Amino acid sequence: MSENGSEHAPSETGEERIAVSADSSQFQVAARHPRRVEKSAFVLFLVSVAAFAAFGATYVLGASDMVLGVLLAVGMLGFGVALASWGKYLMPRGPFEEYRAPMRTTEEQKKLLVSDFASRGKVAIERRGFLAKVMGVAGAVFGVVALFPLIRSLGPKPGKTLDTTPWKKGSYLTDINGRRLTVADVNVGGFVTCFPEDDIGGAMSQTVLLHPQTTDIVTRVGRETWAPQGYIAFSKVCTHAGCPVGLYEQATEQLLCPCHQSLFDIYSGCEPVFGPAPRPLPQLPLYIDSKGYLRAQAPYNEPVGPGFWTRGGEL
Amino acid sequence: MTPPRPRALTAPSRARAAWRRLLAPIGLAGATALGLLAISVVPPVSAAVRAATPLRASSSTSSSRSSAGKVSLAVGKTLFDQSCASCHGIEAQGSTLAPSLQDLGAGTIDLWVSSGWMPLAVPGAQPLRKTDRYTRAETIDIAQYVASLSGYRGFGIPKVGLAGTSVQKGFAIYAEICAACHTITGAGDALSAGITAPSLHSVTKAQVVEAMRTGPGNMPRFGPGILSNQQVKDVVAYVVKEIEHPAHPGGLFLGGVGPVAEGFIGLFAGVGLCILAAFWIGDRTPRHGDDAHPGAQNDDDGPAGEGGGREREVEHV
Amino acid sequence: MIDRLFNWADDRLALSRGGRHLLNKIFPDHWSFMLGEIALYSFIILLVTGVFLSLYFVPSEHMTVYHGPYLPIDGTKVSEAFASTLRLSFSVRGGLLVRQMHHWAANIFVGSIVVHLLRVFFTGAFRRPREINWIIGANLLILAIFNGFLGYSLPDDLVSGTGIRIAFSILESIPIVGTYLATFLFGGQFPGSGIIIPRFFIIHVLILPLLILGLLGAHLGLLVRHKHTQFPGPGAREDNVVGSPLWPVFAAKTTGFLFLVAGVSALLGATTQINPIWLYGQYFPWKVSYAVQPDWYMGWLDGALRVMPSWEIHFPGHMIPNAFFPAILLPGITFTAIMLWPFLEAKLTGEDRREHHLLDRPRDRPVRTALGAAIFAFYFVLFGASATDVLANYLSLSLNFVLWSFRIACIVVPLIVYPVTYKICKELQETPGAGKRKVHNIVVRDAEGGYHTIPAEEYPGFVGEEAPPLDVDRIDVLTPAGASEPTPGIYRIPRDYTD
Repeated sequence: MSENGSEHAPSETGEERIAVSADSSQFQVAARHPRRVEKSAFVLFLVSVAAFAAFGATYVLGASDMVLGVLLAVGMLGFGVALASWGKYLMPRGPFEEYRAPMRTTEEQKKLLVSDFASRGKVAIERRGFLAKVMGVAGAVFGVVALFPLIRSLGPKPGKTLDTTPWKKGSYLTDINGRRLTVADVNVGGFVTCFPEDDIGGAMSQTVLLHPQTTDIVTRVGRETWAPQGYIAFSKVCTHAGCPVGLYEQATEQLLCPCHQSLFDIYSGCEPVFGPAPRPLPQLPLYIDSKGYLRAQAPYNEPVGPGFWTRGGEL
Repeated sequence: MTPPRPRALTAPSRARAAWRRLLAPIGLAGATALGLLAISVVPPVSAAVRAATPLRASSSTSSSRSSAGKVSLAVGKTLFDQSCASCHGIEAQGSTLAPSLQDLGAGTIDLWVSSGWMPLAVPGAQPLRKTDRYTRAETIDIAQYVASLSGYRGFGIPKVGLAGTSVQKGFAIYAEICAACHTITGAGDALSAGITAPSLHSVTKAQVVEAMRTGPGNMPRFGPGILSNQQVKDVVAYVVKEIEHPAHPGGLFLGGVGPVAEGFIGLFAGVGLCILAAFWIGDRTPRHGDDAHPGAQNDDDGPAGEGGGREREVEHV
Repeated sequence: MIDRLFNWADDRLALSRGGRHLLNKIFPDHWSFMLGEIALYSFIILLVTGVFLSLYFVPSEHMTVYHGPYLPIDGTKVSEAFASTLRLSFSVRGGLLVRQMHHWAANIFVGSIVVHLLRVFFTGAFRRPREINWIIGANLLILAIFNGFLGYSLPDDLVSGTGIRIAFSILESIPIVGTYLATFLFGGQFPGSGIIIPRFFIIHVLILPLLILGLLGAHLGLLVRHKHTQFPGPGAREDNVVGSPLWPVFAAKTTGFLFLVAGVSALLGATTQINPIWLYGQYFPWKVSYAVQPDWYMGWLDGALRVMPSWEIHFPGHMIPNAFFPAILLPGITFTAIMLWPFLEAKLTGEDRREHHLLDRPRDRPVRTALGAAIFAFYFVLFGASATDVLANYLSLSLNFVLWSFRIACIVVPLIVYPVTYKICKELQETPGAGKRKVHNIVVRDAEGGYHTIPAEEYPGFVGEEAPPLDVDRIDVLTPAGASEPTPGIYRIPRDYTD
């Protein structure tokens, strides 16, 4: 029972009636000039009739989407305004009320339900408790094993696929059209997206080949031979959220990720210098073969792309 | 002829420009709400325009003026000495203020001058796009004069014909190498540290080629080993035909900056209009009395504490 | 004829039993109670337009050659999903309109859910007995956001494809199970085995809509069970509902509203271009565009990814990647906190555990209001941060400066919003009648030279006083003597309205 007391709570069967004059203000329409509202609602309904009809006609004739849409909108809006103003202005304005029973039930109601449940349950179930247990076990086993086909068959386990890319020792750097890149192809200040020959267009093997200068670049101790004659390659997959780091700032020698603006400094081995990326872009060690082709000395020495649980930490 | 007067972009006017840009999206949201209503009033007109505009953009480009006129190195020298030599040196050899222009080629000079990046308003300022500085002929005169100082070495001013180009191939290359900075719609965007990849909505064929081949500022250089002449021309075709005249069959183009602008319109125009409708429908109509017994509206709120004003009740009839 | 039809149905369905109660159901009049209706009606629009789209869309990543009126892609290799989206946009009559209406309605759908949630929060409508409905509502918001993201991803265009790439990275970032979830869902390491679009499609058009429909039914069912909350006001008590009856007043208003929401969607769909995928082109993993963001309702997550400092947790053999914190932990905490809020508030305030059907005015609960405003400000700043690059370009500011501004703002702005909101609430509490329609008083000098005031009409004919509410279940209407017919122009509830 609500705190407002019970004297207002009528019985829902409606014994306690209230006599109201039909002239009561609650039954009056809200509009001060009902005729005017009637007229404008009438006009608006006519507008929507015309707009819907025009929609049909222009659809058959093949008008543009814009014409169709505007006609549809005019029809809908006219209809909506007319109907809503009918309800708002030309119907009894109230206020009316209805009784709201409290959600809390009485003690007797509760007791009755609980006792029904318990007493019947006692007779039917508790005496066969072992059946209930076995049934429970059967249900649980089904529930668990049902997950296997539901989830396990969706796709393969990650395995080692996240740790490696198709780059191999000796892989040719190949552009998207399958052309093996030579030193002559990449001018100073240029960049090309390249792939290993057997994975052209690969999402994880994509690599940016840059040529910022004509002499060897040493980004870090141990990478003395990785960028011969200034040809240098990094994984194009951002270490933050995996977007292609396709934005090469040639003058400042930085790579920017267009998704979340992580900035990588090329000369320090693509160390992140700004933004959310936590790790440098992996560098692909290059060599130039006798015919001038750019090739990989070795695969990437760490997993490319964003982090994951089993990636291990090298920091 | 009168020497063109440089229009300095002063600090206050830049601040104002920034403000205007800040206010623009807010105004856009409001204006869209009104504009949508306005547009709905004139559907036949806009419809006729829409219907007449095919999806394929028209191939006419007015921006590229023929450079067939005679090149005047004398005019070029005059203009160069007036506006460029003070920083770049009288022989374009460079100075502590500005780099050497020798060996850069006429194409590079043409790009920097025709885009309005050069001359700078203030030495050391960031190059901004400005317009109406020099006529096309004057620009070419300057570029050829500078090129003549180093024996016309370097990348010249290209003449770009679009015959035999493919916008399809151009689009594919554009999406691969250009969109990462200039955005896929060519709207341009901010790079690191205050540098900007400019908008491509009003560039000329020559400028596109010059930019791709010479790599101005932070832009990479795409030499012939990376992109063939044909591929460059395909990109030019895509830029001047599609980026500059994009197909917008869906209506208002919200700046081509993606879902952020769309979200603002969806929230302020979409949800906003619906809430306005709810204001109207849900608001209780004030009572009009013919059986008038006027009385003051009860304002018995008082200092409402926790749950204050809860117990106001009206006697039942 | 109608009588016979009704009798036939009534004999079989017992419509008369309880049906009258439904017709009499009272809906309180307040604009803020219609925010949820915006969501309901935009969902209906989504269903109708979505059915149309699903007749043409081909959910396949299989590569095909597009031939059609859009020249720059004509004759190039694209996926079936992308090609069919282009076809339904350009070659199906009215297709682009329906597609744009669908997308705008989705924006309105999620937006109105958020606005509705804020209304319920600030007025305390989540309190007992409505905690369950609050939780259902929060789950509807989650499902709406998810389904919006899936729908945005379906066309396989450059912008949404980048979004799917980020989604893979976020899945992958979950400790222990993340890599399994990612490769199971995508069928392998990104980009997967070509099944992500078909899977997204069936989740988008079947599984999530069914869940949303089910929860929506429960949401509305509980609304009927509890009856609507109401603001304190003349005649409003905890044990009644004051307003308009469903039939015919509310039915007319709300049906009109349905058409208005549809009209707004159609207007936006007709005049404002949304997601022009033909300009974006087909997604390929090595292509990317700058200025890419998700739709706004995922924008706060994208913003969180951007402002997150470059931290990761490393320990031998394992790591917790950077993306986990803003993209998994933050929404996890957010929605858990939303769902637990009714219980937290009851616990923290030590408030009575009584039922509440009368709403709080936000000013009367300054702590809750200020806290809600501050938290909302935090998410709004994150949403703004999803446009750091666009803002930097637009305002000619450095990207670094803008990002750092947002990093600072998402801490500072809530700290400012809280005390300001609190102070505003306190001020409003002390201003009697603030936010109400003002009744002006006219000072009159009478014949004796004394002064007194009379209330002025707000506008001609306005009578300030509200009549007391009539209980629809109990009224007997008396026709005045001599007036057998209703006065013309005045709508009366007929005599047999009650029985």
